[in-house]
Amino acid sequence: MVMLIPYGQRVTPDDRTVSNRALMRPRPAGRALRITIATLLTAWFALPLVPLLLWFFADRWSAPAVLPTEWGFSGVTSALANGAVPAFGRSLLLGLVVAAIATPLGAMAARALTRGAVPAPRLVSGILLAPLAMPAFVAVMGLTIVLLRARVPGLVGVVILLVAAALPYTVYTMRVAYAAHDLAYEEEARTLGASPWQVLWRVHLPLVAPGLARSAFLAFLVGWSDYVITILVGGGTIVTLPLLVASFASGVGNDAVVAVLSVSAILPPLVLLLVLGRFGRRYPTARFMTGPTASRSPKGSP
Amino acid sequence: MPGARTPGSRRWASLALVAPAVAIAAFVVVGGIGMSVVQSVGLLPLVGEAAFSLDAYVANGDELLTGTALSLGIATASTVLSCLIGLTAAIVITQGRRTGRIVAAISALTIPIPHLIGAAAVGLLLSDAGILPRILGIPGTEWPDFVGGSWWIAVIFEYTWKESAFVALVVAAVLSSRVARYDETAALLGASRARRLRHIVIPLARPAVIVSAIIIFVYTFGSYEVAWLLGRPYPEPLPVLAFRLFDSISLTSRPEAAAVAVITTMISLVVVALGMALLRRTPLWR
Repeated sequence: MVMLIPYGQRVTPDDRTVSNRALMRPRPAGRALRITIATLLTAWFALPLVPLLLWFFADRWSAPAVLPTEWGFSGVTSALANGAVPAFGRSLLLGLVVAAIATPLGAMAARALTRGAVPAPRLVSGILLAPLAMPAFVAVMGLTIVLLRARVPGLVGVVILLVAAALPYTVYTMRVAYAAHDLAYEEEARTLGASPWQVLWRVHLPLVAPGLARSAFLAFLVGWSDYVITILVGGGTIVTLPLLVASFASGVGNDAVVAVLSVSAILPPLVLLLVLGRFGRRYPTARFMTGPTASRSPKGSP
Repeated sequence: MPGARTPGSRRWASLALVAPAVAIAAFVVVGGIGMSVVQSVGLLPLVGEAAFSLDAYVANGDELLTGTALSLGIATASTVLSCLIGLTAAIVITQGRRTGRIVAAISALTIPIPHLIGAAAVGLLLSDAGILPRILGIPGTEWPDFVGGSWWIAVIFEYTWKESAFVALVVAAVLSSRVARYDETAALLGASRARRLRHIVIPLARPAVIVSAIIIFVYTFGSYEVAWLLGRPYPEPLPVLAFRLFDSISLTSRPEAAAVAVITTMISLVVVALGMALLRRTPLWR
């Protein structure tokens, strides 16, 4: 199974490839068509973000007006008054905790699976992928009673379920990373007298660091975006940003607050994505290891 | 990390490495489905005697049927539209010109946005007091019921918006690594654009499209928050129905919610199995 989200990976061909395609130089009609389609697609992807940005700066915006009638930051004030900052902090923490647990677990499992010494590897891969094929609410509805009877605190229950939801992403991102990873470097370091600990910290982890960053990002997203698990297992006591957005968005007349909260929920992942894009490409050892073309191949895992 | 000593020790080391991840995933998947089944047949009541019965499956028979049909419809429409738009975007992206780079950037930026936030944004865009009727100068009273209407347009719109970006990214990654060379060779041999699209680009993209389609279908089929926020109160898609029953105060409702969960899972698993069978029939799938 090779599904993965190719974050931090280049999907557009580089200039060298493009300039070599003399045969495929566009004809005028094709060019016009392509630009029209590209414009439509850009509009499609950008359109839902427009109201968020406009409402962010709107104090008042009565119905027929095309632009806000009064500009200002009352949405921000109102969001702050309704606990946006603690909710933001809880979401951030939840995302980080899920990433901190799911990334090493996924990396360990992926390492064992790529080295091929795991018994029943298909079954193991299947179990690790299964959370992707199961609706989140099913896990919650089945397990709430178990977690309650075992007296597991709500927060711990939320983290367990979110880690399970993040594992398919971290395992498969790391499988791709390990498929391109050359064990000879670790053996070389061992031959030169490095301790297992030194091999891990100085050789192994730096070499798979871009993969780890990608998995951690995806795992963070799982914790950061979750609504269903947090509200059902947490019983509404863990108020994260999505819970706050949901409670305002389901009411009427909160458009400015919803926009402010939504923008604050979009920014951290976007910043991380941009950082990741830089990190994934800049890492010198990784490029040296995988070569200039292998890093673009998503079909890395067996 | 132990080195390659004996096969036996390597096996144990590997087992120790996969064990924590497998334990958590198995607990959630097997435990979640298993306990849903046990609760749905009345073997784990909140109070009272445990007794086997299928009442929970019969109690909301009509709602289960309409909910299943509705969820299947929403998931099918969202999956088909996402794949079409996403595939088009991927082809534009891998053309490698400036337009493609803009589409690549903007679609990648929408992916980390949570679905719930997407739903809130689509609400601000498409509702009768939203931005779109204002821009188009249509009064709210004459604006069609996209949000909360009988065709679930806003819900499908949100899913399609988010998931088409997902398809674009996954398929573009496959196309950029494989198609360029074949495409050039075919062009050199005199294949027209239409033929290259039909015989090279689409067959090479097919496995990635099918995998994305399975993931999107299962996600949209079992997702709660978007349908709850942008949908209408009745009829309910399966996850919304399950949520309402789960939160209801009546004692029989927990098994009924579990029954809805079991049916949703079973349909999801059938779809995954069908998708995998389709995948195996594509020539490129290894």
